[in-house]
Amino acid sequence: MGFLQHACKIGTLALCGALVTACTAMINGSDPKATGGGTAATSGTAAPVATGPATLLSLPSTPLPTTGLHKLTAWEFANSLQDLLGSDVPLAPVEADTLINGFATVGATSVSISPAGVGTSQTVLGNATAWAFADAQHAAAALSCVPQTTTDACLTQAINAFGRRAFRRPLTSGETMRFVDLATTIGNQSGSSVLIGVRHAVWAILQSPQFLYRVELGAPSAADGGRLKYTSFELASRLAATLWASVPDDALLDAAAQDSLSTAAGGLAQAERLIADPRAHRSLAAFSDQLFDAFDLGQAQKDPTTYPAWTPTLEAAMLKEVELRFDDLALTQKADYLSFFSSTSTFVNSELAKFYGVPYTATDDSFQRVDLPSGTPRVGILGAGAILAGHAHAQLTSPTLRGKYIDNMLLCEVIPPPPPGVPPLPSMAPSGSTTRQVLEAHRAQPVCASCHGLMDPMGFGMENFDSTGQYRTTDNGQPVDASGTLDGIAFTNLAELGVAVQKNARTVPCLVNNLYENALGRAPLDLDSADLDRLIGQFAASGNRIDQLLIQLVSNDGFRFVTPVGEE
Amino acid sequence: MAVFGRNGISRRTVLRGVLAGGVSVVVPLPRLGAMLNGNGTAYANGTMLPVRFGFWFFGNGIIPSRWVPNATGVGDAWTLSEQLAPLLAVKPWLSVITGTDIKVPDSAPHASFPACALSGATNGNKTTLLPTIDQVIAQMIGMGTTFPTGIHLGIGNSSGSTALGDTMSFSGVGQPNPPEFSPANLFKKLMQFANTTSTPAAPDPELLREQMVLDAVNAQATTLRTSLGSEDQQRLDRHLEGIQELQTQIMRAQGPKVSGTLVDPDTAYPNRGADGSLSRARCEAFNDLLVFALSTDLTRIFSYTFTPPASFQSYADCGLGTGGFHGDYGHRGSPKGAAYATAGMNTGVRYAMTNLADLLTRMQETPDGGTTLLDNSCVYTTSCTSESQTHSPIDFPLLVSGKAGGKLKGNQHVRLVGENSSTVLHTLYTMFGGTAETFGLDMGQVSSGIPALLA
Repeated sequence: MGFLQHACKIGTLALCGALVTACTAMINGSDPKATGGGTAATSGTAAPVATGPATLLSLPSTPLPTTGLHKLTAWEFANSLQDLLGSDVPLAPVEADTLINGFATVGATSVSISPAGVGTSQTVLGNATAWAFADAQHAAAALSCVPQTTTDACLTQAINAFGRRAFRRPLTSGETMRFVDLATTIGNQSGSSVLIGVRHAVWAILQSPQFLYRVELGAPSAADGGRLKYTSFELASRLAATLWASVPDDALLDAAAQDSLSTAAGGLAQAERLIADPRAHRSLAAFSDQLFDAFDLGQAQKDPTTYPAWTPTLEAAMLKEVELRFDDLALTQKADYLSFFSSTSTFVNSELAKFYGVPYTATDDSFQRVDLPSGTPRVGILGAGAILAGHAHAQLTSPTLRGKYIDNMLLCEVIPPPPPGVPPLPSMAPSGSTTRQVLEAHRAQPVCASCHGLMDPMGFGMENFDSTGQYRTTDNGQPVDASGTLDGIAFTNLAELGVAVQKNARTVPCLVNNLYENALGRAPLDLDSADLDRLIGQFAASGNRIDQLLIQLVSNDGFRFVTPVGEE
Repeated sequence: MAVFGRNGISRRTVLRGVLAGGVSVVVPLPRLGAMLNGNGTAYANGTMLPVRFGFWFFGNGIIPSRWVPNATGVGDAWTLSEQLAPLLAVKPWLSVITGTDIKVPDSAPHASFPACALSGATNGNKTTLLPTIDQVIAQMIGMGTTFPTGIHLGIGNSSGSTALGDTMSFSGVGQPNPPEFSPANLFKKLMQFANTTSTPAAPDPELLREQMVLDAVNAQATTLRTSLGSEDQQRLDRHLEGIQELQTQIMRAQGPKVSGTLVDPDTAYPNRGADGSLSRARCEAFNDLLVFALSTDLTRIFSYTFTPPASFQSYADCGLGTGGFHGDYGHRGSPKGAAYATAGMNTGVRYAMTNLADLLTRMQETPDGGTTLLDNSCVYTTSCTSESQTHSPIDFPLLVSGKAGGKLKGNQHVRLVGENSSTVLHTLYTMFGGTAETFGLDMGQVSSGIPALLA
């Protein structure tokens, strides 16, 4: 069998053969949803269990993953150390997260830490614990009591309390003995001290897989017909990871000890407490970084000759801007998610203010809320520099990348990858053409239109912004044409594109899908349809409030049970 | 002649120790000059010198018409192509294999093909489905060294997110070996084993305490293991492997030091550019460190990612504009036009080969017993596509460098049109002692190698 024939047989059937690689040449590199050997795109042998809005998401019918180890993401690792050892604890990067479907939490359920990565953790934790136990004052921030000698009863108490938070459950008696023995043995060495002993016990606790992985295995619940359900302590772990991106606090663990998390109402009460806590901002930031493709922004290269204003600090400010906007929307304004696509209120530091051309009055370079002037073309979150610059080339914009981003991350559509080895088309557009004209010439070829017809017309709505996200009215000397369509709704500029996203039936289910996927650490399956439909309904009833969605999500059966209802 | 297999060092050359937890361990020592016989071809006790293996990967493929040498054959029968010309100094150690194809389908651009070129199977979601060749061979020759699963390095860190990622070495599904991008970090890691002062340091009590910490962690992991399903057990075993490597390293750090030239990158290459950026100086810094680690037998395995698949890296270091290499040159999308883009692509491939040549030359210049490190090594080189602008799997770029202790012929161009590219992996696998009849999976699977590559 010829290679291409084979590729077509196993590829994405409807589009195979209708694609030409040249057309897709420039779209590769920013599609977190399209990786993975086509598994995400080959769903649909079993009938979906629900007919609500979740069916728009084309959820796959693959078997439920069996893993119960969630590797801490980089965010979870850093936040946990701050919560356990002190907010000023010295931190350094640990092994990089693997993003699957755009989410580190999904990668964290299938990827293990490499031997070299274990070495890196060892070094980072060695430095962090050396700082945290340098003296009694530092130690007091980490321990429930500070032992004075190795025979002090407080030693066992402190190890138990610390271990409970780090492992997200009480230590077993064997574990207590192991870590107290370690602290005592080292503490009693000549030239050592009890604090040096405790430091090493804490180092061992934090290097243990019980800390570096959330261990969430579940147990059969007799009250639920034997369904596999997370234990109360595992739920505490899941709640803290989802709402704080960190370890639980003592109040949450106390609730778990009283088994009050085993009911939906008990979980709800804690969820409401956690989301009101300042630590919730961190989980929103982590989610926001993934939703807005911080990875792609971080890898964006801009031509310094064409774009002298582009600096690493501007890039960092753009990322901070979308984190603050998402956080503000969810936790401060508690506003309708859909308003995100029309809002002109944002946050800038001095460099970003200058880039956006808005006044900045503070003197400390902190981020300040600003309302963009009336009539601004930079309308809605799609006008944020992070999205515009993160999905563009070094010199040119990419309506394809930008459209693909909207399609993948905001509408949860999957664009299939191209088959290989097809010769490129010659450029059909004359020199001096705009980016739009070049893409339109390509799209005039039927072989290109099937995919680019999905992506480019969306991205055209962002053409008034150059590769770095700066406003422009011309491209290659010609006026910008920012008109396009999204699922049949026509628009002529970014503001109208935002309206088209607001009106799209997939926009709300997709956000629910993304938060669900991020929280569970796995892609939703058709078994999850009923849960997702319930959440989408609750989200709508709340006026599309993200804070309410998060609370409902963690109180929902899909979060509380290992096995969804639909599973046999 | 060198030997393969995990028993490369005699039991006499091990360091015996008892860990704080009471577990007795034996750790082979790094190779010391005094251990060699008079000719330097073997240890004094007759055990042969080890052979090292690594892969060197570069992203975005090639231009086949400028990559494939004109003539086939051995020695003077063939000459280097335009894109391979930078390898002239090491041509006697070079085997160029052309004409073979990646046979697995392209389910994800820049992921399926590099996965197959390194493992013989297509990709999963940000992972290979089989261990990559370095890890397969590590299982056969890496045991007992200080870094048994190898040293993993990366120069450029800008990868397209549809691609496999910037990790190219995998020990199994979901078991990446992410590269170290910082020469300074690697230097720090190696320094603890190097003979940097004339007076031996006093035993460091802190190292003994760290051993006790790791013993406790080991016990924790062992306890957890019993409650896990098989998939999670495998992930945990990986963690245990890391703990055990650390224990070995700590023990080594307390034992005799290795003598070799360990170059501080901050002294020798202070202006090498940021970690993750592409520069000749960054390559040189890593090449020094890698040659040190290989020649002192701290490791026998490495993976070296010059640029990851679909790399958007700036190739400004070789004079190209700052556009991302993948789009501007690989796909010829440069705003300056197709001719400029093609010339730039060619420059970029030659730049990659120049940096490969730098590593191979340093290996060739490093004595290893009576021969050189390159004589006792095998370096496999490949990319993520053949012709980059079409993501072509046809006529895939494959190089094998070094003599592998006399097992490889070298200085030849073998052209096998339409052959499965995995035959090269099969050749390397069996050369290092692998006995399974097949290598690879599904369309990537083969049951024979390329005898012509062998001496």
